[in-house]
Amino acid sequence: MSQQWADDRLMAALGEAVRAARAVPPEFTEAGRAAYTWRTVDAELAALTFDSATQAAAAPAVRAEEASPRFLTFAGSQLTIELEIGPDSIVGQIVPSQPGHVDACPATGAAATAEIDEIGCFIIRPLPSSPFRLHCHTAADVSVLTTWITL
Amino acid sequence: MLMEIAPGLGRPRTMQGIHGPPAALRRPTRREGPAVRDDSPVAALVARARDGDKQAWDAIVDRYAPLIWSICRRYRLDRADADDVGQSVWLRLVDQLAFIREPAALPGWLATTTRRECGRVLSAARRQEALGDAVDAAEISGDDPEIAEREVLAAERNTALREAFAHLPPRCQELVGLLLEDPPVPYADISAKLGIPVGSIGPSRGRCLDRLRRYPAVAALISNEIPAGGGPQ
Repeated sequence: MSQQWADDRLMAALGEAVRAARAVPPEFTEAGRAAYTWRTVDAELAALTFDSATQAAAAPAVRAEEASPRFLTFAGSQLTIELEIGPDSIVGQIVPSQPGHVDACPATGAAATAEIDEIGCFIIRPLPSSPFRLHCHTAADVSVLTTWITL
Repeated sequence: MLMEIAPGLGRPRTMQGIHGPPAALRRPTRREGPAVRDDSPVAALVARARDGDKQAWDAIVDRYAPLIWSICRRYRLDRADADDVGQSVWLRLVDQLAFIREPAALPGWLATTTRRECGRVLSAARRQEALGDAVDAAEISGDDPEIAEREVLAAERNTALREAFAHLPPRCQELVGLLLEDPPVPYADISAKLGIPVGSIGPSRGRCLDRLRRYPAVAALISNEIPAGGGPQ
């Protein structure tokens, strides 16, 4: 017999592979398939460049205060979006400052819209259901989409 | 390689590309595995999904949902949290589709993203339980590089084997499927079900497994393993 994976071992490995797939609830897979409806082809994506929650986790010496808000920064080529997520609202600012509006789009459910004032500030209240993303549209016709935010 | 948000603080190996810029999938995060090469079916699926082919996306999800699920299980997430993690991981991948240059990096990226999301869900749950102090990152991270590496390799092996199995002739699939049943199906029952003599079950099984071994993804797996000298167990 060759050393290459004798029959019994191959059967055992195959059994393991099949069981691993059978263990997955169908709805779990279905939700993954459904995520494709969020494929975007034309919006510019702003990537997360800072997340206070992650930074606290990466440096255990820094204690996460219970009540402290979470700070996030997203950077696109034309806009930077700063967010402060509190217990019941999101306060945000876009840089450079300019007016417009922002849509908070949860993965499931309807989007909520808020005005962006002349200095680039906005408030979203209540918190969108997680996960969600923000889509900023400015008066100068800049359109930027954040990556997904999970609370 | 470092995630840009916390230079010097991050654990470089596992943090690459999670929330990072679209470069996330341009380079493999680990040694290249045998089962997924850029001429592999995954590369074709990724290219098609990027161009709007929903079926290709579904096939990607079907291939790797077991990997994501098993990581959620290892973190002992309950069903709702696992669903939460799964959704986040796939949503992030949808965003990344246009930027994937190295499909070989996909399983590693999925595993890393999943572990990270699991950590997030767990620490959020603990905050809600008001257990007090900041959660020790090491406790929740489960980021043991060896476990992570094994997890991805096992997923690639499983994927290759399932793919090979799906390409067997229907008679082989039936026979091998019955032989894999747990508890085992008696040979007499298999013989009756498939209409073949008991004495030919063994030789048929051997021929089916030979085909499985010759399937390119499995062959690559086997040849890659010989230098290591070990088995999957």
